[in-house]
Amino acid sequence: MKISIKKKRNYNLIIGLCLTGFFALMALVGQFWTPYSVTSMDPLSVNVAPCLAHPFGTDNFGRDILSRVMNGSGMTFFVAICTVLMGAVIGTVVGALTGYFGGWIDEIIMRINDILLSFPSVLLALLFISFLGPGTVNVILALGILFIPSFARIVRSEMIRCKELDFVKSAKVMGVGPFRIMFVHILPNTLVSMLTAAAIGFNNAVLAEASMSYLGLGVQPPLPSLGRMLSEAQSYLFNTPWYAIAPGVTIILIILGFSMISEGLRAVER
Amino acid sequence: MGMLFDVSHLTIGFEDKGQMNKVVNDLSFSMDEGEILGVVGESGSGKSMTALAAMGLLSPQAHILDGTIMFDGKDMLALSEKERSAISGKDMSMIFQEPMTSLNPVMKIGKQVGESLRLHTSLSKEQIHEKVIRALSDVGLSDPEGLCKKYPHELSGGMRQRVMIAQAMVCSPKLLIADEPTTALDVIVQGQILKLLRKLHRERGVAILFISHDLNVIREICQNVIVMYNGDIVERGKVLDVLEHPKHEYTKTLVASIPDNTTADRKRRPIVTMEHLNVFYRDHEGGFFNKSGRQQVIKELNLQVYEGELMGIVGESGCGKSTLAKTIVGLNTDYNGTLKMDEDLHPQMVFQDPFGSLNPARRIGWIMSEPLRVRGIRTKRERRNMVCDMLTKIGLDSSFYDRYPHELSGGQRQRVSIGAALLMNSRLLVADEPVSALDVTVQSQILELLLDIHKKGGLTILFISHDLNIVRHICHRVAVIYLGQIVELAPVDEIYKNPCHPYTQMLFESALSGNDSRTAHFAPDDIGADIEDTVIGDTGCPFYPRCKYRTQRCEAQAPDFVNVGADQEHFVRCFFEGKITLEKNELHNGDMHII
Repeated sequence: MKISIKKKRNYNLIIGLCLTGFFALMALVGQFWTPYSVTSMDPLSVNVAPCLAHPFGTDNFGRDILSRVMNGSGMTFFVAICTVLMGAVIGTVVGALTGYFGGWIDEIIMRINDILLSFPSVLLALLFISFLGPGTVNVILALGILFIPSFARIVRSEMIRCKELDFVKSAKVMGVGPFRIMFVHILPNTLVSMLTAAAIGFNNAVLAEASMSYLGLGVQPPLPSLGRMLSEAQSYLFNTPWYAIAPGVTIILIILGFSMISEGLRAVER
Repeated sequence: MGMLFDVSHLTIGFEDKGQMNKVVNDLSFSMDEGEILGVVGESGSGKSMTALAAMGLLSPQAHILDGTIMFDGKDMLALSEKERSAISGKDMSMIFQEPMTSLNPVMKIGKQVGESLRLHTSLSKEQIHEKVIRALSDVGLSDPEGLCKKYPHELSGGMRQRVMIAQAMVCSPKLLIADEPTTALDVIVQGQILKLLRKLHRERGVAILFISHDLNVIREICQNVIVMYNGDIVERGKVLDVLEHPKHEYTKTLVASIPDNTTADRKRRPIVTMEHLNVFYRDHEGGFFNKSGRQQVIKELNLQVYEGELMGIVGESGCGKSTLAKTIVGLNTDYNGTLKMDEDLHPQMVFQDPFGSLNPARRIGWIMSEPLRVRGIRTKRERRNMVCDMLTKIGLDSSFYDRYPHELSGGQRQRVSIGAALLMNSRLLVADEPVSALDVTVQSQILELLLDIHKKGGLTILFISHDLNIVRHICHRVAVIYLGQIVELAPVDEIYKNPCHPYTQMLFESALSGNDSRTAHFAPDDIGADIEDTVIGDTGCPFYPRCKYRTQRCEAQAPDFVNVGADQEHFVRCFFEGKITLEKNELHNGDMHII
């Protein structure tokens, strides 16, 4: 006999997906269409407070803040996706090889991993950029390298756990090669933890990109980016607070969305 | 005798994915003081739930929907948490299935056993210590003083189970709930633990609620039995009545025998030949700072497996039988000596744990197609057809193609494993305890499937097991392994009629015979002591430390593997060459009676 009781919904995942989806859509639209031109200045409407014509107001050059947030968050998403992809792909390969084969290569690579993890990531990113020079691509490269260890660790531990399991042994007995075992047999088992890690990774990437641009090392002017806008808004914080509020709130909501997705994914895993 | 424990109209529901499933349905039974009541049923039949409910240990998803549990005149379900904990652990205690996880790993044995005395009595430290020592020696543990200072990981599985029983008995409870207490143990240790429980029952008069899925165990120890199926009691009564004359359909299938193998061993062409095989096992991989540990597991092994035979390999856990299996299928390459096999043999393996042997992230169809992809069958359609054919052959159907392993039961998963091995065109199947993780009724189905494919396809099967009953019924030849050496090798009937090695005899004695003359079992009060782990010595018979018949010669010199059979091959590694069986023969008059 079955008595139905209230089923719990995964609200974290639902709200997280909605938030992220909304901002991703906004960013996507912002690449092709914005209410005003992103870079054109209008000396007649400088520092206009939020009104019907400019819902988020305008900045000190008279540029529409809504348009710049829409376009700038596109850059933020682009950098975040590229860094996470780079970290995930390289991290997976490194983690799979070291975890599956073990031995001294594993020891060396994991110690390098530990060294990377023991420094604050922004500090390391600054170090990389001081070598590579500022710019969007270089920020992606620097952050991508920093993201490798966290993914490598997840995949490695899953490889170590799975390679002792009977289904892997039975594949070995059949004569399946080691690379096929790693990437076709074991890797799908890491999917949920990888997705969770990716969501957290997006978070860190958004924050890191914002801080890089805030420090003037990321996206170069006049192109907008959420971090850059925050840094420019700093000097006008008391006179025109809306300049800082729009990009700040956008960053917070994007991060909140990703956090809720990763939380929700963890519940799915359980 | 007065009534001690009474369960009436107990109904327990379990919350799963928003649904409330009834796992125990209107259950009523009662126990007198000093009674041993068996509860038998498959996993999921609700037998453990009942015990957990009595102890107040149900998981938060489980809800008691109706009924009462009376213990010693008190309603256990109406008591407050505090009142209940005053009873459980003192007047009512429980031993669990898993000796590896049921003890606290960071607490010394002495403290752990004395814990309930500290909680429930006002005894002084010295008195508690004294009681703990007595409890430990009562359960047959030698050197209880030294043991008190040890941690659980320093003990073997059998010793831990004894410690757990001592822990449960230290407060002299009136009721002991034993939830599958011997399932995780070896045959020999299992026999000893059952004898120990019987001794405690006789001496202390403790009532025991004995939960098991194993009818042999129930028959051995219980007076009355209830049979549970899907949360209902389907049959109850005296053990012998129920097991000899089962009335309910389910009990009948439970009692039904293990399928018999009738095919004769035809050809004598060896397909696997092992000569002077030494196999090593690496404890851990070496790194920068630790060297890899290498142990010899198999020593100088000579064995031939003939085409089309069912060869049984028997021994305790840790004797090397699984390592041998892995070596044959190529999972362990660290060996020397000869290991020759036919080129197109493709030995495949069926593992013990049906939940680890299928990739949880892939569908059944994908898993079963993998051997075909390895064989180079390129077209998807062809693969699908072959897999679907195989699914029907192994007693499933093509609807399983798109399912995930977690949707399948243990028996179904084991079928899929067997099917995947067959799709590899394997001529030798190495089955490492393929049914020991399954329920009794499912066991016989899987064995039937193995026998079926053996007969139809002439498949050779190497059947590794610790269950002597099953080996006797389905195998042609049996090799008994002790510490990495074959100590006895003979056709199955011969070895069961005339076991020559003392170790084989010991295995058979501890195997539960199901003998009807119950009094005979009470006579030997040998609850056994735990033997230190023995390692392969350089000189002398490896079985020397445990042997009843040992002489000085056995210590100094290792016996050869000699043929003692009259008209058929019967090899034994013992100086007595089987002559000791004459004195011990009466033990085997009852024969291995299978229920």
